Amino acid sequence: MLPDQRSRSFLDHRVLSRLAAIPFSPRFPMLGTVSGRHASPHRGSSVEFAEYRKYVPGDDLRRLDWRAFGRSDRYYVKEFEADTNLRACFVVDTSGSMAFGSTGTTKLDYARKIAGSLGYLALQQGDAVGLSCVAKGIVKHIPPKRNPAHLMAVFDTLEQTRAAGESQLAPVLHELAETTRQRALMILISDLFVEPETLRSCFQHLRFRKHDVAVFHLLDPQELKFDFRRPMRFIDLEGGPPLFADPTEIAARYLDAVRQYLEAMKQIVLESGVDYHQVSLEEDYEQVLMRFLIRRTRTRGAR
Amino acid sequence: MNFQQAAILLALPLASIPLIIHLINQRRFQTLKWGAMMFLVAANRMSRGYARIRQWLIMACRILALLGLILAVARPLASGWLGWAAGSQADTTLVLLDRSPSMQQTSASGGLSKLESARGQLASTLATLGSNRWLLIDGINAQPRELTGPKQLGDAALAEPLSTPADLPTLLEQARGYIEANNTGRTEIWIASDLRANDWDAEGGRWDALRQSFAALGKRVRFHLLSYPESAPGNLAVRVTDVRRRAVGETAELLLSLRISREGETAPTERQVVPLQIELDGARSELTVELAGPTFDLKDHRIPLDKSQVRGWGRVLLPADANPADNDAQFVYDQAPTRKAVVVTENPTAVRPLELAAQISPESLPAGQVETFGPEQAGSLDLDNVALLVWQAPLPEGETAARIERFVDRGGVVLWMAPNSPTAARLFSAGWTDWSTDERTWPLETWRADADLLANSLAGQSLPVGQLEIRRYCGLEGELIPLATLSGGGPLLARVATTRGGVYFLATTAAPQDSNLATNGVVLYVLVQRALGLGTSTLGDTRLAAAGDLALGDSTAWQRLAGGEDAIATPWVYHRGIYTSDDKLFALNRPPAEDQAAVLADTRIDALFDGLEFRRVSETVGSRAGLVQEIWRLFLGAMLIALVGEAALCLPTAAKQATIELRGGTNPSAGSPAASKGAAA
Repeated sequence: MLPDQRSRSFLDHRVLSRLAAIPFSPRFPMLGTVSGRHASPHRGSSVEFAEYRKYVPGDDLRRLDWRAFGRSDRYYVKEFEADTNLRACFVVDTSGSMAFGSTGTTKLDYARKIAGSLGYLALQQGDAVGLSCVAKGIVKHIPPKRNPAHLMAVFDTLEQTRAAGESQLAPVLHELAETTRQRALMILISDLFVEPETLRSCFQHLRFRKHDVAVFHLLDPQELKFDFRRPMRFIDLEGGPPLFADPTEIAARYLDAVRQYLEAMKQIVLESGVDYHQVSLEEDYEQVLMRFLIRRTRTRGAR
Repeated sequence: MNFQQAAILLALPLASIPLIIHLINQRRFQTLKWGAMMFLVAANRMSRGYARIRQWLIMACRILALLGLILAVARPLASGWLGWAAGSQADTTLVLLDRSPSMQQTSASGGLSKLESARGQLASTLATLGSNRWLLIDGINAQPRELTGPKQLGDAALAEPLSTPADLPTLLEQARGYIEANNTGRTEIWIASDLRANDWDAEGGRWDALRQSFAALGKRVRFHLLSYPESAPGNLAVRVTDVRRRAVGETAELLLSLRISREGETAPTERQVVPLQIELDGARSELTVELAGPTFDLKDHRIPLDKSQVRGWGRVLLPADANPADNDAQFVYDQAPTRKAVVVTENPTAVRPLELAAQISPESLPAGQVETFGPEQAGSLDLDNVALLVWQAPLPEGETAARIERFVDRGGVVLWMAPNSPTAARLFSAGWTDWSTDERTWPLETWRADADLLANSLAGQSLPVGQLEIRRYCGLEGELIPLATLSGGGPLLARVATTRGGVYFLATTAAPQDSNLATNGVVLYVLVQRALGLGTSTLGDTRLAAAGDLALGDSTAWQRLAGGEDAIATPWVYHRGIYTSDDKLFALNRPPAEDQAAVLADTRIDALFDGLEFRRVSETVGSRAGLVQEIWRLFLGAMLIALVGEAALCLPTAAKQATIELRGGTNPSAGSPAASKGAAA
């Protein structure tokens, strides 16, 4: 239930209710601000036993395990796993190319649906949600917080943002990797129309900062088919020079270039340990999110 | 190359349809806002090189396919330049066919002769080119004969080989006459010949007039020369140069002289043994001779005869070689006729040496008879059995002149000697003027030693003509051919051009005050004996003549005893062979000029047709290929190849245009050491 009762075009309560049955969990221990549902890298006061540790002066005497002392005549402190909330930081590409869509939905619309739905789910389970709209730089940045009013601000920003400008993902991602506190869930939603090699260092930087990185790579079916028959004048949505081409002449090479790009991208995300999802805009976003959440459920639990 | 449906070529611009469609397509572009520009830029960069060439190749294939289709429908003709030269359908096509013996030369491997090749090629070519009317002009009577179609040229009866020269100038004159008389439209004149100099008479005076008359007809007349200049090295030709029957005691013998000539380089020197067959009245004997040079002369070969065998015929045959038309020579023999001369003189002393020279014949010949008359008795002369008439008196007129003209037409020889008092009378377009008045000796400046009365001996030695001293001569005027010319003066000996017989003018007498002809003796004797021989050759019941000699009379009633080629539709007189008619025997041979292998050079031929629409093609003997062929199949094949090529070039493109299927995503396990290590790195 949204606090302001406003309906958002990118949110569908039926989809949200179906997705709410699946927990939204990170792949790695997160570092939250409060107690939550997710594993923390630190020891805490949960019911899940972690280990015995020798007592050192200064430890809380209440945590001494007297039974262990009775058996071994030594002082041991019993430690438990800590549970925390996560900080879900959505990085939405708002460059000009995100305005493209041949199925009636632009990539930015699709990104709104993913970010909005996941944000809602995260907040529902007590996690903090943040948003960064990026293009040539960071257009809009909302740090992660976990109260519902903050979610409304995120939704407002998503709703108001427009696709424009050049895409400069690499420096933006480096900046976000540095400025976002460690162990956050970074969800990048973009068409990734940059050279794959430039993204390799970005992903490695994010992983170095122990962020759990998930990428939704949005691609329009027309970009994948390129089935034009007549000569076309292509106008660059990101402001570059227009290009005149006969699709029958260059279609084969265009598709070759796309294949090479996707192969390179797949290789990079594999090597960087990124949760990577190729998404065609003609695919139902509910199915995409369902697949995303279920796959995460299988890999949760590692500390 | 040319086209039978040239109007179809107007559709050639349609071949640019693929290009026009391409350009229209280029202009009908759509504008689209596009995000994935990086792939477009990469694809555009990759499209240079082979890919771009492939696109242009596809375009070229489509254009070529259309071109091939249009050209095939236009029914192209091709054969080197001839295809271009042929042009569209003519109104009248005249075929001038050289049917001379040299056109019967075959290729080294046998097969078709030049004439048969020409007929076949012309038949197929003209059938392809088409015309409203076809006519054949050949060497029989040079009259155009209308053909039902070009295929009729293949009819052997219509264009059979002859033993006579072609006389191309006459044929062309007939062609011009036909064009002028019928006012034909565009006329194609096809000449098929082997370019022998004797057939073309390139040095004759008729070519200038011919050229001008055809030039006056304008561009509507075009000449196509189908030439077969190929020679046949090693080809042998035989010719009987002399045949005489001589009584020897109780028997008789035939003295046969012949010449074998060998075609080839200027002077072939390798030795060659030739088996020679001599057929005498149907019985053959063989003789082997050895050639060491370009010619071989057999002189007075003796063949024994029965004394009762006073006349007959024979043939000399060579083994088969490249040209069968010159492998035989026919002859007839008879008792030598009386060598009778009649002398009409107003000054008996002036002609006495001539009488002596005429009476003393060579040993093998019967003695000569000479009758001398005064000018007043000339009206009662009997010239029936006379071989030579010597006339030393003013030129006759009236009936006497007419009788002498008939005598010459029959083959008799007249030697006019300078009269004491020349008159203004003219005979044979010539006559006497005045005697020279200078009292000095006139040496001879030039004389013809290659032919006629003053020719060198058979051994090649020249007569002592230069030793003659002419002290007085009578001037000559008229259309005369000088045989001997005085230094600084007029002709001493000249002849008038006649079809038969001989008419000679001697501008002095044998009187001592006029010349030393009598004391010199040799020149006078040879001159008189040769004139007698020439006149005697037309006497008697046998004739040894060249084929085509119309003076022999109507030959349709002749009976053939032996011969060379078969004659189907033309008079016998045009075919070599032995013929009999009444009590006469005729031996016809090809003219001597046919044995001369001189071929006109291309430049000379070009000069003959200078200023006219003229094209020439050299063909090989035995060729069966048509000069002009329809090659629409070639263009259709090219069109199919272009279409297959276009399809082949398009196939790979279609295969690569498959769309890309997305394969979901990758989610490396959280605990994967590889992922963690990669990330840490």
